[in-house]
Order: sequence, then structure tokens, then C-alpha cells
Amino acid sequence: MNAAPTGRSLGLLVCLQCRATVRALHVAYPRCPRCYAHLYERKPHSLALTAALLLCAAILYIPANLLPVMYTRTIFDDEQDTIMSGVLELLHSGSWPIAVLVFIASIVVPLLKILSLSVVLFSAWRRSPRFRSQRSELFRLVEFIGRWSMLDVYAISLLVALVQIRSLAFVSVGWGALAFASVVVLTTFAARTFDERLLWEAPP
Amino acid sequence: MAPASEGTRCARCRAPLQRPENGNIDTAIALAISALILFFLSNAYPLVEIQASGSTRATTLTGAALGLYSQDHVGLAALVFLTTVVGPFLQIAALLYLLIPLRGAREAPGQNTIFRLLAQVRPWTFVEVFMLGVLVALVRLSAYARVIPGVALWSCALLMLTLAALTSRTTPGQFWRWVDRSRS
Repeated sequence: MNAAPTGRSLGLLVCLQCRATVRALHVAYPRCPRCYAHLYERKPHSLALTAALLLCAAILYIPANLLPVMYTRTIFDDEQDTIMSGVLELLHSGSWPIAVLVFIASIVVPLLKILSLSVVLFSAWRRSPRFRSQRSELFRLVEFIGRWSMLDVYAISLLVALVQIRSLAFVSVGWGALAFASVVVLTTFAARTFDERLLWEAPP
Repeated sequence: MAPASEGTRCARCRAPLQRPENGNIDTAIALAISALILFFLSNAYPLVEIQASGSTRATTLTGAALGLYSQDHVGLAALVFLTTVVGPFLQIAALLYLLIPLRGAREAPGQNTIFRLLAQVRPWTFVEVFMLGVLVALVRLSAYARVIPGVALWSCALLMLTLAALTSRTTPGQFWRWVDRSRS
């Protein structure tokens, strides 16, 4: 399909730490001559690790969206917010650009990340030859935007720190926030353990 | 090896390969020092202050993590602390430790290990996301309280920009080019 020679076909390895191109030596644990990092043809156990992390993230995605992330206690009422109800509240209070921003960062991005990583992982496992460039692009996009889902966690942490006027208003964190943060952390690790080059392996 | 020119891309997946030479080591050190100063300012001064029905309350950068900690959410507190305080600090400190000796063509002790640590820390610096989170929190609060931005809010915004400039100038490719040059 592609005429360009690969590093593997030329017996070269690239150091994932310092990006040096190194001639592959057939020793047990090769190391990079420049930065002394371990050299691997592909990241070790990439598919299994990514799959495990992704599965955990997908499971935690459920409590992350169902459990309250924040409790608000004022003299007038008690309120609990999930991620989604927080977005709706922002929408009703008239700040729709912020509502859209939070909706994208907290609802769309994590879901997109879990789904895209699953697609990418599955096709890498199947060694599917179709839409390789598109999947590479998708993976890089996911890696790039993933961090922004931490937005709501920071917003909540700040509200917790600020709204502590015990007699008037009191904000506390819910377990949903931990589940949500775990989803972000796990998917970030999942993207890091995935070796993009596995998308380009020859079909079996 | 292909020459490192502008816009060299992978023949297979079209990803940018090697970034071209981007500024000299002095620029990187200057940016790192500015980032360090801004980091201290961001931590020393309050981020925001709110006033509601006669009482005021302010928080600092670490205050955000401490609030979570005081509510027994240790995991979340650790995550917020690591990504907003420890991450940026380690990144700036590690770069200064590596770059200052390298400027005089010497290598810092444990250079390879420190650089590997830096590569691990880098993806966990979330200053820009934190800034947006502050904005969201302030919008939510503005309906109920008067919000007064603090010094740290501005220094944090500058830190965000400085860190972005610093990170793009000290990519692994660029860093090891400097090392190669000092070795030859």
C-alpha cells in the first residue's frame, strides 16, 4: 500500500524518549545510546494495557454521570448537581457560551474519547487496513483534547474552596467528581500506553 | 535520515515529524526563569475573592486543593494539587536544572533520568485547563456574589502563556539537539 520503507524494514528503532534513530541490536534489553532509555520496537503490552485502562474508564463513566459531583447547601434549599444538571443550570442562568463550553468539555469530550479509543484499539487489534489515516488523525485529536475534560473538576474545586460561609452557603464535593476525574486520568493513560504505529501493522 | 526541514511529515500517517530548530537555549532559559517567577506569584497571592452579604472569602491556587482535602476527598485533592502546583513546578525546575549547565556545554548530573521524568510530568500540567475552570466557577458565582480577581489570577494567565512558549521550545527533539551539539 505504501512504498515508503519503515524503520522496522530497515532494522531501525526510534527512541521514544529522545527521538533518536538507532540501529536495532539483537540483544535482550537494548538501550538508547544517547539518553539510555529502554528501546522497544513497539510499546510493550500496548493493546492489553490500553484495553484494560479503557475498560476501567468506561465503567467509571457511569457513576461519573449519575452520581452528584457537587452539593450546595444554602439557607433556602439543598441542591445536588450531576455534571449534566450543572450544565443545565448554567444554561438557565443565561450564560450559554459557558454552558456550551462545559457541555463539550465534560460530556462530549470524555464520551468521544472513550468511543474513539475503542474504535482505534479494536481496529489496531483487528489490523484493519481501512481508514488508517483517519484513525491516526482521530487518535491524535483525542490525545490533544482529552485534557480539557478536567475543566469541571477544577471549577468544582474552586467553588468548594470559595463557598464556605457556613451559615449562608456551603458547597461540598460529591463522589461523582472523583469518578469523573478518574475517567479523565484513565483515558489519558490509555492514550499514552497506546502505540499509534500499531494502527499501521500489515493485516494478518 | 531525512533533513529536519519545515513541515517534514511521516510518509505514512502525515504526522509532523521533527520540528525545525526553534529559538536558542538562552530564550528557553529566560522563559523558564519568567515561568518560575510567575509560578511563585501565582502561589503567593490570592486567586479570587468573593464578597457576599457582608462576608468575604479568598482562595489561593493551593486553596483549591486544600478545600477538597478538608472534605476528605484526598484523591481529588492530590490530583488537583499535582496538576496545578507540583506539575508546573517540576517542569520548570527540571528544565532550569538541565538547561543552565547545558548552556555552558556541560551536562547536569542525572540528565537522562531527569529528562525522562520531565517527559512523564509534562502531560500532567493543566494550567490552561485550570484557568478555564476558574472562569467557569466565577461565572457560576457571579450570580450570587461579588467576584474580585486577585493578583494570582493574572500571573496564572501569564504563567499559562509562558509555559506554552517554554514547552514548544523545549521539545525532546530540540533538547537532544542541544545535548548533541554540546557533546560534539
